[in-house]
Amino acid sequence: MDEFQTAEEASFLVDEVSSIIKEAIESAIGGNAYQHSKVNQWTTSVVEQTLSQLTKLGKPFKYIVTCVIMQKNGAGLHTASSCFWDNSSDGTCTVRWENKTMYCIVSAFGLAI
Amino acid sequence: VSSPSFKQCIESVLGKADYNHNKVNQWTAAIVEQSLTHLVKLGKTYKYIVTCAVMQRSGAGLHTASSCFWDTTTDGTCTVRWENRTMNCIVNVFAVAIIL
Repeated sequence: MDEFQTAEEASFLVDEVSSIIKEAIESAIGGNAYQHSKVNQWTTSVVEQTLSQLTKLGKPFKYIVTCVIMQKNGAGLHTASSCFWDNSSDGTCTVRWENKTMYCIVSAFGLAI
Repeated sequence: VSSPSFKQCIESVLGKADYNHNKVNQWTAAIVEQSLTHLVKLGKTYKYIVTCAVMQRSGAGLHTASSCFWDTTTDGTCTVRWENRTMNCIVNVFAVAIIL
């Protein structure tokens, strides 16, 4: 029982991280339409909010959060990522979100200390 | 972490090509894999994350941001932007020290 609890406390839980990311996106860009002058603030606030919620989890992890916002106008966008780490303790979670005028892709990486 | 070598990785994969929907997946995969291999060969005690975004140039706006919670004395990042007539490519490299 004790071992299970410790494992939970020190592991990267994808569902938990995914809901943190979704909340951050909704609150930063929720009902908005793509606006060139605001996008910088939006990407910054999505990553900052996500990062601060992740660190509040108090787990022994280092985190990297990236956010891409793209205007919808028919252009193709492809992203890929590759990681060299410890498969048993490290993890990643990517959330794709969209509304009528833009796409938002947020990736969070957690590396065990 | 030096950017010239990542620029080379991108050049060798995308070099003279035009945006091609069918090939983009292979390209992004090749770029991250080559970059990661290059980093691992440096033989340092680091964990690495490499991300690559390739976008067709059609006038759409694209913004990216990243934020990191780590040890600022040992960890670092490097971003390389590349473009040609038909596409933009952004590669991000994150290096996190392993504490032994």
